[in-house]
Amino acid sequence: MALNQGTAWRLAIPLKVFFQRFAFLSLICLSIALLVLGKADLVLLERARTISTDALSPVLGTLSQPVNAFNKGIERVQELASLVEENERLRLENERLIKWQAASRALTKENEYYRQMLNALSDPLVLPITARVIGDSGGPFVRTLLLSAGRLDGVRNGQAAVGPNGVIGRVVQVGHQSARILLLTDLNSRIPVILENSRHKGILVGDNTNIPKLGYLPNNAKVAPGDRVVTSGDGGMLPAGWPIGVVSAVNDGQISVQAYADWTRLEYVSVLRYDLPGLTDKETNPGDLSESRLGN
Amino acid sequence: MTPTLSYQINQILRGSIPFWMSLLLVFISVIPFRLPGFDMVTPLLLSISVFYWSLHRPYLLPPIVVFVLGVVQDTISGAPFGLTSLTMLIVYAIAASQRQVFVGKPFIQMWWGFMLVAIGLSFLTWVVMCFYSLALIPIVPVMIQSGLTILFFPLLAWIFALVQSGLMKHI
Repeated sequence: MALNQGTAWRLAIPLKVFFQRFAFLSLICLSIALLVLGKADLVLLERARTISTDALSPVLGTLSQPVNAFNKGIERVQELASLVEENERLRLENERLIKWQAASRALTKENEYYRQMLNALSDPLVLPITARVIGDSGGPFVRTLLLSAGRLDGVRNGQAAVGPNGVIGRVVQVGHQSARILLLTDLNSRIPVILENSRHKGILVGDNTNIPKLGYLPNNAKVAPGDRVVTSGDGGMLPAGWPIGVVSAVNDGQISVQAYADWTRLEYVSVLRYDLPGLTDKETNPGDLSESRLGN
Repeated sequence: MTPTLSYQINQILRGSIPFWMSLLLVFISVIPFRLPGFDMVTPLLLSISVFYWSLHRPYLLPPIVVFVLGVVQDTISGAPFGLTSLTMLIVYAIAASQRQVFVGKPFIQMWWGFMLVAIGLSFLTWVVMCFYSLALIPIVPVMIQSGLTILFFPLLAWIFALVQSGLMKHI
Protein backbone atom coordinates (compact mmCIF):
# COMPACT_ATOMS: atom_id res chain seq x y z
CA MET A 1 0.00 0.00 0.00
CA ALA A 2 2.72 2.38 1.01
CA LEU A 3 4.67 1.45 -2.12
CA ASN A 4 1.61 2.06 -4.30
CA GLN A 5 1.11 5.46 -2.80
CA GLY A 6 4.75 6.24 -3.42
CA THR A 7 4.58 5.39 -7.12
CA ALA A 8 1.37 7.33 -7.47
CA TRP A 9 3.09 10.34 -5.94
CA ARG A 10 6.12 9.89 -8.15
CA LEU A 11 3.83 10.03 -11.16
CA ALA A 12 1.61 12.78 -9.83
CA ILE A 13 4.24 15.33 -8.92
CA PRO A 14 5.76 15.78 -12.39
CA LEU A 15 2.25 15.88 -13.83
CA LYS A 16 1.28 18.56 -11.34
CA VAL A 17 4.43 20.52 -12.13
CA PHE A 18 3.73 20.13 -15.85
CA PHE A 19 0.18 21.47 -15.48
CA GLN A 20 1.37 24.32 -13.29
CA ARG A 21 3.98 25.26 -15.87
CA PHE A 22 1.39 24.94 -18.60
CA ALA A 23 -1.10 27.13 -16.75
CA PHE A 24 1.60 29.70 -16.11
CA LEU A 25 2.69 29.82 -19.75
CA SER A 26 -0.86 29.98 -21.03
CA LEU A 27 -1.58 32.89 -18.67
CA ILE A 28 1.49 34.71 -20.01
CA CYS A 29 0.25 34.05 -23.55
CA LEU A 30 -3.22 35.25 -22.58
CA SER A 31 -1.77 38.51 -21.25
CA ILE A 32 0.12 39.08 -24.49
CA ALA A 33 -2.98 38.21 -26.51
CA LEU A 34 -4.98 40.74 -24.46
CA LEU A 35 -2.36 43.40 -25.21
CA VAL A 36 -2.53 42.67 -28.94
CA LEU A 37 -6.34 42.55 -28.97
CA GLY A 38 -6.49 45.77 -26.98
CA LYS A 39 -4.31 47.44 -29.59
CA ALA A 40 -6.81 46.32 -32.22
CA ASP A 41 -9.54 48.28 -30.38
CA LEU A 42 -11.78 45.31 -29.85
CA VAL A 43 -15.27 46.51 -28.89
CA LEU A 44 -15.81 43.52 -26.64
CA LEU A 45 -12.74 44.32 -24.52
CA GLU A 46 -13.76 47.94 -24.11
CA ARG A 47 -17.26 46.82 -23.17
CA ALA A 48 -15.78 44.50 -20.55
CA ARG A 49 -13.66 47.35 -19.21
CA THR A 50 -16.66 49.68 -19.02
CA ILE A 51 -18.79 47.15 -17.18
CA SER A 52 -16.13 46.15 -14.68
CA THR A 53 -15.05 49.73 -14.01
CA ASP A 54 -18.68 50.55 -13.40
CA ALA A 55 -19.00 47.69 -10.95
CA LEU A 56 -15.83 48.70 -9.09
CA SER A 57 -16.49 52.44 -9.04
CA PRO A 58 -18.51 52.42 -5.77
CA VAL A 59 -15.56 50.76 -4.03
CA LEU A 60 -13.21 53.42 -5.36
CA GLY A 61 -15.66 56.14 -4.39
CA THR A 62 -15.83 54.85 -0.84
CA LEU A 63 -12.08 54.35 -0.54
CA SER A 64 -11.32 57.85 -1.83
CA GLN A 65 -13.62 59.41 0.76
CA PRO A 66 -11.19 59.30 3.74
CA VAL A 67 -8.32 60.50 1.54
CA ASN A 68 -10.46 63.46 0.51
CA ALA A 69 -11.36 64.24 4.09
CA PHE A 70 -7.69 64.09 5.10
CA ASN A 71 -6.66 66.39 2.24
CA LYS A 72 -9.42 68.81 3.11
CA GLY A 73 -8.24 68.91 6.71
CA ILE A 74 -4.68 69.70 5.65
CA GLU A 75 -5.87 72.38 3.26
CA ARG A 76 -7.97 73.94 6.00
CA VAL A 77 -4.96 74.16 8.30
CA GLN A 78 -2.84 75.68 5.54
CA GLU A 79 -5.56 78.22 4.83
CA LEU A 80 -5.76 79.18 8.50
CA ALA A 81 -2.11 80.13 8.44
CA SER A 82 -2.55 82.62 5.62
CA LEU A 83 -6.00 83.90 6.44
CA VAL A 84 -5.15 87.60 6.64
CA GLU A 85 -3.09 87.76 3.45
CA GLU A 86 -5.65 85.68 1.64
CA ASN A 87 -8.40 88.03 2.71
CA GLU A 88 -6.44 91.05 1.53
CA ARG A 89 -5.71 89.37 -1.80
CA LEU A 90 -9.33 88.43 -2.30
CA ARG A 91 -10.51 91.96 -1.50
CA LEU A 92 -8.19 93.37 -4.17
CA GLU A 93 -9.22 90.70 -6.62
CA ASN A 94 -12.87 91.39 -5.92
CA GLU A 95 -12.40 95.09 -6.67
CA ARG A 96 -10.71 94.24 -9.94
CA LEU A 97 -13.38 91.71 -10.86
CA ILE A 98 -16.21 94.13 -10.21
CA LYS A 99 -14.67 96.44 -12.80
CA TRP A 100 -14.34 93.50 -15.16
CA GLN A 101 -17.92 92.54 -14.54
CA ALA A 102 -19.14 95.94 -15.65
CA ALA A 103 -16.98 95.76 -18.76
CA SER A 104 -18.16 92.24 -19.49
CA ARG A 105 -21.82 93.21 -19.11
CA ALA A 106 -21.41 96.05 -21.56
CA LEU A 107 -19.57 93.81 -24.02
CA THR A 108 -22.19 91.08 -23.78
CA LYS A 109 -24.94 93.56 -24.54
CA GLU A 110 -22.94 95.00 -27.41
CA ASN A 111 -22.21 91.52 -28.74
CA GLU A 112 -25.87 90.54 -28.53
CA TYR A 113 -26.84 93.69 -30.41
CA TYR A 114 -24.30 93.00 -33.18
CA ARG A 115 -25.45 89.41 -33.45
CA GLN A 116 -29.00 90.60 -33.82
CA MET A 117 -28.00 93.05 -36.53
CA LEU A 118 -26.14 90.35 -38.44
CA ASN A 119 -28.82 87.76 -37.75
CA ALA A 120 -26.02 85.45 -36.54
CA LEU A 121 -26.95 82.11 -35.01
CA SER A 122 -26.08 81.99 -31.34
CA ASP A 123 -24.06 79.11 -29.94
CA PRO A 124 -26.08 76.48 -28.16
CA LEU A 125 -26.07 76.66 -24.39
CA VAL A 126 -23.85 74.36 -22.42
CA LEU A 127 -25.06 72.44 -19.39
CA PRO A 128 -22.35 71.17 -17.07
CA ILE A 129 -22.66 67.95 -15.06
CA THR A 130 -20.31 68.05 -12.08
CA ALA A 131 -18.94 64.85 -10.59
CA ARG A 132 -16.31 63.77 -8.11
CA VAL A 133 -12.98 62.36 -9.23
CA ILE A 134 -12.71 58.87 -7.76
CA GLY A 135 -9.63 57.53 -9.50
CA ASP A 136 -6.56 58.50 -11.46
CA SER A 137 -4.33 56.43 -13.69
CA GLY A 138 -1.85 55.51 -10.96
CA GLY A 139 1.13 55.21 -13.26
CA PRO A 140 3.27 56.91 -15.87
CA PHE A 141 1.77 55.33 -18.98
CA VAL A 142 -1.74 56.71 -19.22
CA ARG A 143 -3.25 59.97 -18.03
CA THR A 144 -6.89 59.40 -17.23
CA LEU A 145 -9.38 60.19 -14.48
CA LEU A 146 -12.34 58.22 -13.27
CA LEU A 147 -15.51 60.18 -12.51
CA SER A 148 -18.47 59.19 -10.34
CA ALA A 149 -21.06 60.11 -12.98
CA GLY A 150 -22.09 58.10 -16.01
CA ARG A 151 -24.76 57.46 -18.59
CA LEU A 152 -27.55 57.82 -16.05
CA ASP A 153 -26.41 61.37 -15.31
CA GLY A 154 -26.24 62.34 -18.97
CA VAL A 155 -22.52 61.83 -19.56
CA ARG A 156 -21.73 60.68 -23.10
CA ASN A 157 -18.63 59.73 -25.02
CA GLY A 158 -16.68 62.63 -26.44
CA GLN A 159 -17.97 65.37 -24.17
CA ALA A 160 -15.50 67.92 -22.86
CA ALA A 161 -14.39 67.79 -19.24
CA VAL A 162 -13.47 71.03 -17.51
CA GLY A 163 -11.88 71.74 -14.15
CA PRO A 164 -12.13 74.99 -12.21
CA ASN A 165 -9.55 76.70 -14.44
CA GLY A 166 -10.11 75.29 -17.88
CA VAL A 167 -10.55 72.29 -20.12
CA ILE A 168 -8.82 69.15 -18.85
CA GLY A 169 -9.80 66.52 -21.39
CA ARG A 170 -12.53 64.48 -22.98
CA VAL A 171 -14.81 61.62 -21.95
CA VAL A 172 -13.63 58.38 -23.57
CA GLN A 173 -15.54 55.68 -21.74
CA VAL A 174 -18.98 55.79 -20.13
CA GLY A 175 -20.61 53.26 -17.85
CA HIS A 176 -23.89 53.60 -16.00
CA GLN A 177 -22.43 55.36 -13.00
CA SER A 178 -18.82 56.07 -13.92
CA ALA A 179 -16.94 57.68 -16.76
CA ARG A 180 -13.30 57.87 -17.77
CA ILE A 181 -11.71 61.14 -18.85
CA LEU A 182 -8.73 61.13 -21.17
CA LEU A 183 -6.66 64.08 -19.95
CA LEU A 184 -5.29 66.41 -22.59
CA THR A 185 -1.78 65.47 -21.47
CA ASP A 186 -2.25 61.81 -22.45
CA LEU A 187 -0.32 60.42 -25.38
CA ASN A 188 -3.57 59.69 -27.23
CA SER A 189 -5.23 63.04 -26.68
CA ARG A 190 -5.87 65.34 -29.67
CA ILE A 191 -7.95 68.45 -29.09
CA PRO A 192 -8.84 71.02 -31.77
CA VAL A 193 -7.76 74.42 -30.46
CA ILE A 194 -7.39 77.98 -31.65
CA LEU A 195 -4.98 80.72 -30.65
CA GLU A 196 -7.23 83.30 -29.07
CA ASN A 197 -5.65 86.41 -30.53
CA SER A 198 -4.32 85.39 -33.94
CA ARG A 199 -7.26 82.98 -34.61
CA HIS A 200 -4.92 80.34 -36.06
CA LYS A 201 -6.26 76.83 -35.63
CA GLY A 202 -4.23 73.87 -34.51
CA ILE A 203 -4.40 70.59 -32.63
CA LEU A 204 -3.25 70.17 -29.05
CA VAL A 205 -1.24 66.94 -28.89
CA GLY A 206 -0.60 65.25 -25.56
CA ASP A 207 2.66 63.40 -24.90
CA ASN A 208 2.30 62.06 -21.34
CA THR A 209 4.20 65.04 -19.92
CA ASN A 210 2.54 67.92 -18.11
CA ILE A 211 3.09 70.23 -21.08
CA PRO A 212 1.18 69.17 -24.22
CA LYS A 213 2.42 70.42 -27.59
CA LEU A 214 0.58 72.54 -30.11
CA GLY A 215 0.77 71.11 -33.61
CA TYR A 216 -0.71 71.35 -37.09
CA LEU A 217 -0.71 75.14 -37.10
CA PRO A 218 -0.63 76.88 -40.50
CA ASN A 219 2.92 77.62 -41.69
CA ASN A 220 2.53 81.37 -41.49
CA ALA A 221 1.15 81.30 -37.96
CA LYS A 222 3.02 83.50 -35.53
CA VAL A 223 3.13 82.16 -32.01
CA ALA A 224 4.74 83.72 -28.97
CA PRO A 225 4.91 82.62 -25.36
CA GLY A 226 1.94 84.02 -23.50
CA ASP A 227 -0.62 83.46 -26.27
CA ARG A 228 -3.85 82.07 -24.93
CA VAL A 229 -5.06 78.74 -26.30
CA VAL A 230 -8.81 77.98 -26.30
CA THR A 231 -10.97 75.24 -27.78
CA SER A 232 -11.90 75.88 -31.40
CA GLY A 233 -15.10 73.86 -31.41
CA ASP A 234 -14.04 72.11 -34.62
CA GLY A 235 -15.61 68.70 -34.93
CA GLY A 236 -18.69 69.77 -32.99
CA MET A 237 -18.03 67.77 -29.81
CA LEU A 238 -16.36 70.44 -27.69
CA PRO A 239 -17.92 73.88 -27.27
CA ALA A 240 -15.83 76.71 -28.72
CA GLY A 241 -13.89 79.27 -26.75
CA TRP A 242 -13.25 77.41 -23.51
CA PRO A 243 -9.85 78.22 -22.01
CA ILE A 244 -7.16 75.52 -22.14
CA GLY A 245 -3.87 77.21 -21.37
CA VAL A 246 -1.11 79.55 -22.52
CA VAL A 247 1.80 78.98 -24.87
CA SER A 248 4.72 78.57 -22.49
CA ALA A 249 7.66 78.14 -24.87
CA VAL A 250 8.44 78.06 -28.57
CA ASN A 251 11.64 76.41 -29.67
CA ASP A 252 12.57 74.68 -32.94
CA GLY A 253 8.98 74.76 -34.12
CA GLN A 254 7.86 72.92 -31.00
CA ILE A 255 5.20 74.86 -29.19
CA SER A 256 4.62 73.91 -25.56
CA VAL A 257 1.36 74.75 -23.87
CA GLN A 258 0.95 75.17 -20.14
CA ALA A 259 -2.59 74.14 -19.26
CA TYR A 260 -4.58 76.29 -16.84
CA ALA A 261 -5.79 73.16 -15.11
CA ASP A 262 -4.23 72.44 -11.73
CA TRP A 263 -3.59 68.72 -12.16
CA THR A 264 -3.04 68.01 -8.48
CA ARG A 265 -6.21 69.65 -7.24
CA LEU A 266 -8.83 68.13 -9.47
CA GLU A 267 -11.44 67.09 -6.96
CA TYR A 268 -14.59 67.90 -8.89
CA VAL A 269 -14.79 67.95 -12.66
CA SER A 270 -17.62 69.15 -14.89
CA VAL A 271 -18.60 67.35 -18.05
CA LEU A 272 -20.14 69.67 -20.63
CA ARG A 273 -23.39 68.59 -22.21
CA TYR A 274 -23.40 70.44 -25.43
CA ASP A 275 -25.64 70.14 -28.39
CA LEU A 276 -25.42 71.46 -31.91
CA PRO A 277 -28.98 71.22 -33.18
CA GLY A 278 -29.13 68.96 -36.19
CA LEU A 279 -25.53 67.84 -35.88
CA THR A 280 -25.64 65.73 -32.76
CA ASP A 281 -28.50 63.38 -32.02
CA LYS A 282 -30.11 62.83 -28.67
CA GLU A 283 -28.47 59.46 -28.13
CA THR A 284 -24.90 60.67 -28.48
CA ASN A 285 -25.39 64.00 -26.73
CA PRO A 286 -28.62 64.54 -24.88
CA GLY A 287 -27.97 68.10 -23.76
CA ASP A 288 -30.86 69.49 -25.77
CA LEU A 289 -31.70 73.15 -25.70
CA SER A 290 -34.85 72.95 -23.65
CA GLU A 291 -32.88 71.24 -20.89
CA SER A 292 -29.92 73.54 -21.24
CA ARG A 293 -32.09 76.58 -20.58
CA LEU A 294 -32.81 75.26 -17.12
CA GLY A 295 -29.31 75.83 -15.85
CA ASN A 296 -26.25 77.86 -16.58
CA MET B 1 -10.56 13.00 10.90
CA THR B 2 -12.14 15.52 8.60
CA PRO B 3 -11.93 19.08 9.81
CA THR B 4 -15.15 20.82 10.78
CA LEU B 5 -16.84 23.23 8.44
CA SER B 6 -16.09 26.29 10.55
CA TYR B 7 -12.43 25.28 10.66
CA GLN B 8 -12.37 24.97 6.89
CA ILE B 9 -14.04 28.35 6.40
CA ASN B 10 -11.57 29.82 8.82
CA GLN B 11 -8.68 28.35 6.85
CA ILE B 12 -10.08 29.59 3.54
CA LEU B 13 -10.58 33.09 4.92
CA ARG B 14 -7.07 33.20 6.33
CA GLY B 15 -5.66 31.73 3.15
CA SER B 16 -7.31 34.40 1.02
CA ILE B 17 -5.72 37.25 2.97
CA PRO B 18 -2.90 37.75 0.40
CA PHE B 19 -5.51 38.12 -2.33
CA TRP B 20 -7.61 40.67 -0.44
CA MET B 21 -4.56 42.66 0.60
CA SER B 22 -3.35 42.74 -2.99
CA LEU B 23 -6.77 43.82 -4.22
CA LEU B 24 -6.83 46.61 -1.66
CA LEU B 25 -3.40 47.77 -2.85
CA VAL B 26 -4.70 47.83 -6.43
CA PHE B 27 -7.51 50.14 -5.36
CA ILE B 28 -5.22 52.31 -3.27
CA SER B 29 -2.89 52.84 -6.21
CA VAL B 30 -5.62 54.51 -8.30
CA ILE B 31 -7.20 56.64 -5.56
CA PRO B 32 -6.36 60.28 -6.22
CA PHE B 33 -4.06 61.47 -3.42
CA ARG B 34 -3.70 64.98 -4.90
CA LEU B 35 0.00 65.27 -4.16
CA PRO B 36 1.77 67.26 -6.87
CA GLY B 37 2.84 64.90 -9.63
CA PHE B 38 2.08 61.81 -7.57
CA ASP B 39 -0.54 60.38 -9.92
CA MET B 40 2.14 59.95 -12.58
CA VAL B 41 4.58 58.12 -10.35
CA THR B 42 2.23 56.23 -8.03
CA PRO B 43 4.23 53.19 -6.89
CA LEU B 44 3.20 49.85 -8.33
CA LEU B 45 2.09 48.50 -4.94
CA LEU B 46 0.72 45.31 -6.46
CA SER B 47 4.24 44.26 -7.47
CA ILE B 48 5.35 44.41 -3.82
CA SER B 49 2.49 42.20 -2.73
CA VAL B 50 2.99 39.70 -5.54
CA PHE B 51 6.73 39.55 -4.85
CA TYR B 52 6.31 39.08 -1.12
CA TRP B 53 3.62 36.44 -1.22
CA SER B 54 5.19 34.54 -4.10
CA LEU B 55 8.25 34.20 -1.89
CA HIS B 56 6.50 33.31 1.35
CA ARG B 57 3.21 31.66 0.39
CA PRO B 58 3.30 30.93 -3.37
CA TYR B 59 0.36 28.52 -3.12
CA LEU B 60 -1.88 31.27 -1.72
CA LEU B 61 -1.29 33.51 -4.72
CA PRO B 62 -1.24 31.12 -7.70
CA PRO B 63 -0.61 32.44 -11.25
CA ILE B 64 -4.30 32.65 -12.08
CA VAL B 65 -4.92 34.93 -9.08
CA VAL B 66 -1.91 37.06 -10.04
CA PHE B 67 -3.34 37.31 -13.53
CA VAL B 68 -6.76 38.39 -12.25
CA LEU B 69 -5.22 41.02 -9.96
CA GLY B 70 -3.26 42.39 -12.92
CA VAL B 71 -6.39 42.57 -15.05
CA VAL B 72 -8.25 44.40 -12.29
CA GLN B 73 -5.42 46.92 -12.04
CA ASP B 74 -5.44 47.42 -15.83
CA THR B 75 -9.21 47.80 -15.83
CA ILE B 76 -9.46 50.55 -13.26
CA SER B 77 -6.24 52.36 -14.15
CA GLY B 78 -7.12 52.58 -17.85
CA ALA B 79 -3.86 50.92 -18.91
CA PRO B 80 -4.00 48.47 -21.84
CA PHE B 81 -5.43 45.10 -20.83
CA GLY B 82 -2.78 42.50 -20.16
CA LEU B 83 0.04 44.92 -19.33
CA THR B 84 0.02 44.59 -15.55
CA SER B 85 -1.00 40.94 -15.61
CA LEU B 86 1.98 40.16 -17.85
CA THR B 87 4.45 42.02 -15.64
CA MET B 88 2.99 40.60 -12.42
CA LEU B 89 3.25 37.05 -13.79
CA ILE B 90 6.90 37.73 -14.50
CA VAL B 91 7.39 38.95 -10.92
CA TYR B 92 5.67 35.80 -9.69
CA ALA B 93 7.87 33.57 -11.83
CA ILE B 94 11.08 35.24 -10.64
CA ALA B 95 10.07 35.23 -6.98
CA ALA B 96 8.68 31.70 -6.92
CA SER B 97 11.78 30.29 -8.63
CA GLN B 98 14.21 32.10 -6.32
CA ARG B 99 12.60 31.20 -3.03
CA GLN B 100 15.66 29.45 -1.60
CA VAL B 101 17.73 32.58 -2.26
CA PHE B 102 15.46 34.86 -0.22
CA VAL B 103 13.32 32.98 2.29
CA GLY B 104 14.81 32.91 5.78
CA LYS B 105 17.58 35.27 4.75
CA PRO B 106 18.12 38.80 6.10
CA PHE B 107 15.52 41.34 5.02
CA ILE B 108 18.07 43.46 3.21
CA GLN B 109 18.71 40.61 0.81
CA MET B 110 15.02 40.41 -0.08
CA TRP B 111 14.90 44.18 -0.53
CA TRP B 112 17.93 44.02 -2.80
CA GLY B 113 16.27 41.29 -4.85
CA PHE B 114 13.08 43.30 -5.12
CA MET B 115 15.08 46.31 -6.24
CA LEU B 116 16.56 44.38 -9.15
CA VAL B 117 13.14 42.99 -10.08
CA ALA B 118 11.44 46.40 -9.85
CA ILE B 119 14.02 48.16 -12.00
CA GLY B 120 14.00 45.43 -14.63
CA LEU B 121 10.24 45.38 -14.58
CA SER B 122 9.73 49.10 -15.11
CA PHE B 123 12.22 49.05 -17.96
CA LEU B 124 10.36 46.12 -19.54
CA THR B 125 7.00 47.84 -19.08
CA TRP B 126 8.41 50.99 -20.61
CA VAL B 127 9.65 49.10 -23.68
CA VAL B 128 6.31 47.30 -24.06
CA MET B 129 4.37 50.55 -23.76
CA CYS B 130 6.64 52.34 -26.24
CA PHE B 131 5.97 49.61 -28.77
CA TYR B 132 2.30 49.55 -27.86
CA SER B 133 1.76 53.26 -28.37
CA LEU B 134 4.41 53.56 -31.12
CA ALA B 135 5.89 56.58 -29.40
CA LEU B 136 8.77 57.39 -27.09
CA ILE B 137 7.22 57.69 -23.63
CA PRO B 138 9.24 59.82 -21.18
CA ILE B 139 11.30 57.38 -19.12
CA VAL B 140 12.00 59.63 -16.13
CA PRO B 141 8.57 59.18 -14.48
CA VAL B 142 8.86 55.44 -15.06
CA MET B 143 12.16 55.37 -13.19
CA ILE B 144 10.81 57.58 -10.40
CA GLN B 145 7.85 55.23 -10.07
CA SER B 146 10.23 52.32 -9.81
CA GLY B 147 12.27 54.12 -7.14
CA LEU B 148 9.17 54.92 -5.11
CA THR B 149 8.01 51.32 -5.37
CA ILE B 150 11.36 50.19 -3.98
CA LEU B 151 11.07 52.71 -1.13
CA PHE B 152 7.58 51.49 -0.27
CA PHE B 153 8.76 47.88 -0.11
CA PRO B 154 10.01 47.80 3.53
CA LEU B 155 6.79 49.30 4.87
CA LEU B 156 4.51 46.87 3.06
CA ALA B 157 6.81 43.92 3.68
CA TRP B 158 6.71 44.75 7.39
CA ILE B 159 2.90 44.83 7.34
CA PHE B 160 2.80 41.56 5.39
CA ALA B 161 5.20 39.95 7.83
CA LEU B 162 3.02 41.03 10.77
CA VAL B 163 -0.06 39.58 9.07
CA GLN B 164 1.82 36.44 8.18
CA SER B 165 3.03 35.79 11.71
CA GLY B 166 -0.23 36.88 13.30
CA LEU B 167 -3.01 35.48 11.18
CA MET B 168 -1.41 32.95 8.89
CA LYS B 169 1.03 31.07 11.07
CA HIS B 170 -0.18 27.61 10.12
CA ILE B 171 -1.29 28.23 6.57
